[in-house]
Amino acid sequence: MPNRPLNKVCYVEDDEDIQRIVRMALERVGKMSVEIVTDPLRAIDAMKAFGPDLVMLDWMMPGMDGPTLFRKMKTLPETASLPVVFITAKATSRDMEELLALGAAGTISKPFSPKDLPDQLRSIWSKLP
Amino acid sequence: MSSLANGIESAERGEAAARSKAAAVIADIRDRADPALVRADRVEQLYSQLPLGLAATVVIGVIAAFELHEGRLIELVYFWGGLLGLVVVLHGLLYLGYRNDARRQDNTGQWLRWLGIGAFAAGAVWGFAAAVFFPSHADERQVFLAFLLAGVISGGIPMYAASWPIFAAYAAAIALPFTYVLATFGNRLFAEIALLIPLFYAVSVAIAFRLNGVFVSGYRLRHAYQRQLVELEEARRQIEASGRKLALFFERSPIAVLELDAKGVIQEMNHAGELLFGFAAAELIGQTVKTLVLAKYQPDFDAEWTKLVATRRPLAGLKVRNPRRDGLTVVCEWTVTPLVNPEGELISVIAQGRDITAQLEAERLKKEFTSTLSHELRTPLTSIIGSLQLINAGVLGDVPKDVAELTEVAERNGQRLLDLINDILDVEKIESGKLTLNPQVIRVDELVREAMVLNKGFGDRFKVRFEARGELSPREVIADHKRLLQVMTNLLSNAAKFSPEGQVVEITTEERADCLRVAVHDRGPGIPESFKARVFGRFNQADSTTSRQKGGTGLGLAICKRLVEMMQGRIGFQDREGGGTTFWFELPRHA
Repeated sequence: MPNRPLNKVCYVEDDEDIQRIVRMALERVGKMSVEIVTDPLRAIDAMKAFGPDLVMLDWMMPGMDGPTLFRKMKTLPETASLPVVFITAKATSRDMEELLALGAAGTISKPFSPKDLPDQLRSIWSKLP
Repeated sequence: MSSLANGIESAERGEAAARSKAAAVIADIRDRADPALVRADRVEQLYSQLPLGLAATVVIGVIAAFELHEGRLIELVYFWGGLLGLVVVLHGLLYLGYRNDARRQDNTGQWLRWLGIGAFAAGAVWGFAAAVFFPSHADERQVFLAFLLAGVISGGIPMYAASWPIFAAYAAAIALPFTYVLATFGNRLFAEIALLIPLFYAVSVAIAFRLNGVFVSGYRLRHAYQRQLVELEEARRQIEASGRKLALFFERSPIAVLELDAKGVIQEMNHAGELLFGFAAAELIGQTVKTLVLAKYQPDFDAEWTKLVATRRPLAGLKVRNPRRDGLTVVCEWTVTPLVNPEGELISVIAQGRDITAQLEAERLKKEFTSTLSHELRTPLTSIIGSLQLINAGVLGDVPKDVAELTEVAERNGQRLLDLINDILDVEKIESGKLTLNPQVIRVDELVREAMVLNKGFGDRFKVRFEARGELSPREVIADHKRLLQVMTNLLSNAAKFSPEGQVVEITTEERADCLRVAVHDRGPGIPESFKARVFGRFNQADSTTSRQKGGTGLGLAICKRLVEMMQGRIGFQDREGGGTTFWFELPRHA
């Protein structure tokens, strides 16, 4: 368990409505600071600038999908150690396992409950080494 | 060499066997003749001889009367001639009576009896001649008389051969008086002749007996064959009728039917086949069926065909993409049946093909549709339900009461729509065999507690409490955790939905011999008798107003059943004592 609370979350998501809901949930319910990135191609730069505790990735996005972005993050020293949580509508258990095998910290399936989202993230956070 | 010799020998044995078989068949056939018909034939034969016999009798009688005509016995000759004339006339009447009897076939016994009496009477008249005229005449007349009597006895053989007892009676009536006269004449030569006459009689009767046998056998064969012919004709008609029926099945069948020989050469093809492949039957008959197999599948086809010819095992549900004449392809589902004769030889192979191209396309569209459902519907629902949840959770602060009520309605119904989508996707996944389970060891008591916690909110909505009754079993089962929770959630939410407010839904576990049973007991209205058979069917709710009032898709229990069965378990329900229903499922115990 990391020795500090979860405060800064970066979310890469192309759907603006979901962006808004997640921001509201994390900021208002979870009292966290949130950076939303719409374009996955610019996500790495945004992460470097924002310095999040944890990154949330959508699976399916135009330009670059979540798993590809995740693999790219792994290759860069600034982002390689960031815990990543996937949010996906692809909810088969095989997909989930695949993500965990890639090294994802956790998965949350769509549709998720926004008021429970901060707790879900904190639970994943607490289980990190 | 030896095998050749053996071959010949066995062929000979075969022929001999065939011959004896044929003989046995003929004997059998003979037994099948109707005895009444055979007797009618014999009577007919006897009567048809009668006019000839009577004519001969009249001629012989006139010559005899002329020869025996001597002064001192003139009255006796007249008397005898009168007797003979009377017998002839009576026979004539008998003959006419027989001919005019329309039912003579049925009255054979009566006609046979009368003919026997007539024959005996005719014999007696000749016997009378022997007894009266032999002693009283000179030598030459005696020779004449002896010759005459021998002649009428012999003549009786062909006359009465169809019934040897009649001949025996007729001949006895002649021979007995004659023998008596000869034996008592007082002459040694005549006494010796008297000894010969019974011998002559016996031989004649024996011949008549044999002839009788030949006639009967002939008639029996004739009738048996007639009957056989009738039956053959009937059999031929039946075969023709079933042949026509078969041809109709073949011609009018909406699926393609091909008849192939053992080498795969097309012998026949029906109209549906012509429509399916775009070839006229005449173009394909004589061609190998590989014409209808795509080049890339031909090696596979050869292997399958070899196997089929070797095993003669019918195949069904064979999905093959076949080329059409116009270059397009169709996917067909084939049923292939080898036809084997009683000797074990492959006569032909019947291939029946159904075009399933459209069906496959429909399945593909369905798959595409469900995948769209999965991704494109969930994303907006995430936004809708998420927004409403944030409002309803008070994240944005208090909202006016009326607004809150409406946003709650909206959230609940959004959730319901999501449940429906999830259920439909589950059903689709289960039915297409794409649902994979993640078996793991699960403690039953922990599962029940987790399910109770997860569904507490749902229970609160219907003002129903979930409570465990008795001690929950700490035993383990092997199951998919997420899916088993889904089953529990379904059973608990159903129980809550149908329970009256303020009631308790009880959960029990029970350790059985080789399984563990989890049961959910409610105090709801119970399941109507008429609905019991359909409880686990799809889109089924006892009362369709329930789904509107309380939510639910009618798919839940169908999914539960499939899931539990996929985990090697059973699911069921029973009426609960004191009202309500108990739903249960059983899973095999983990050792």
